[in-house]
Amino acid sequence: MKKLQISTACQGHGRCYTLAPQLLSSDDEGYVTISGGDPIDVPDDLIELAEDVVGSCPENAISLIDE
Amino acid sequence: MESSTISEKKGAEVTGCPVMHQDFAKTRELGAYWALANELRESCPHFYNEYENGGYWVFTRHEAVNDIYKTPEIFSSASITPWEPDPIYRFVPTQVDAPDHIKYRRILNPWFSPKAMEAAAPMMREICRGFIEPIVPKGECDFYEAFALRFPTAAFLTVIGVPTSYTDVFVGWVDAFFGGFGGDPEGAEGMATALGEMRVFWSEQLDNRRQEGHREGDLFSYLLESTFDDKPLDDEVLLDMCTVLTLAGLDTTRAELAYMFHHLALHPEHRQRLIDEPDIIPLAVEETLRYYTIIFGDGRKVTRDIEFHGVQLKQGDMVYGLVSGANRDPRHWEQADEFVIDRKRNNHFGFASGPHRCLGMHLARREMAIAVDEWLKVIPNFELATDAQLMERGGGAMMSLSTLPLRWEVKA
Repeated sequence: MKKLQISTACQGHGRCYTLAPQLLSSDDEGYVTISGGDPIDVPDDLIELAEDVVGSCPENAISLIDE
Repeated sequence: MESSTISEKKGAEVTGCPVMHQDFAKTRELGAYWALANELRESCPHFYNEYENGGYWVFTRHEAVNDIYKTPEIFSSASITPWEPDPIYRFVPTQVDAPDHIKYRRILNPWFSPKAMEAAAPMMREICRGFIEPIVPKGECDFYEAFALRFPTAAFLTVIGVPTSYTDVFVGWVDAFFGGFGGDPEGAEGMATALGEMRVFWSEQLDNRRQEGHREGDLFSYLLESTFDDKPLDDEVLLDMCTVLTLAGLDTTRAELAYMFHHLALHPEHRQRLIDEPDIIPLAVEETLRYYTIIFGDGRKVTRDIEFHGVQLKQGDMVYGLVSGANRDPRHWEQADEFVIDRKRNNHFGFASGPHRCLGMHLARREMAIAVDEWLKVIPNFELATDAQLMERGGGAMMSLSTLPLRWEVKA
């Protein structure tokens, strides 16, 4: 299963949750809610979208990992 | 004279790269600054740019610009204008470093968050329509003057709780300030005057809220009730904050809007794509911010001696990360020199990066997306209404057109 992990390097640019509202959402300050938290599952049909999400982050805070 | 001799030696000795004498403040032909950034980036990863009494390092490629943004402990924001290491203004929190910086940001972030902007969107849309409707039957306008200057200003004032009747006053202040920001000595006096007048205005607003009490949806009330290390914000900080919000929020969005509409005027296929697929408007906005970034470069002050990408930097040196070079660097981007309207992997630096990323980004994007959507609904086809060469203000401040004449067919 592929998982998305987002580090504490998140600065709240909002490109990830704008691209993939099915996977991610923002907190009241604009940071992604899973910043610094546990990785989340990525369903097989959303893997390409998850790769786009990784490439959208100017902080290089997002990784797509195998688990 | 002595300092310029030292500078010359520094540039030549350390880099083996040319010392240059580029004036980034002057007005050039539209597109000249991005062309210059491409040229600098492809000829050398770094330069030493000398001016009359000093100089600064310019890093031209994506990798180095990224590293500058990601190491704020080495690259301080104490000054963000490399030609002015000790400016007369202090932007809070723009020019504040860790550990205080994040405390200010946490006060301001919720006010400008995506959720707050979502809530403000219907009001922004209404303001936007109010500016477009009277223009439609005319069949032509100066987009910059009639729309780009005014819509973001009115939307911003409404978001912070100032009546939109102040729109023209703010337009004047912001113009005067940026006349001097890029280092043009002729603009220095106007910049100082505008700063002074703005501060008087903010003081009056703050005094008014102190006397008349809390107002809902009002940034001044919110700031007066906010705390820093459990204490209220002091007056100087309040004024510095209000000033930077205004300057950063008003000059930038208008410039990006004008570049975006200039692009759309020249590319009917992109207009049609956005009409057919309005869902990709946010992606087109991001691509505008990458490809037509108005940030020529971003300055930082070096906090300690360090070797950085082959350059020996000294404490107190100024560096300039060439954002417009990084945003089109083929070492980083696929189709770097093409406007890809639905680009998804768009980690551009148009809003900077690192802890100082643009606070108002969610407001700016929202304004741009609404502007494109509303405009195309009523003026789906338009073109440039001039054959004259359009000019852009220097990237020393932020690049901007000063006029954008458009025309379209009016249905009988």
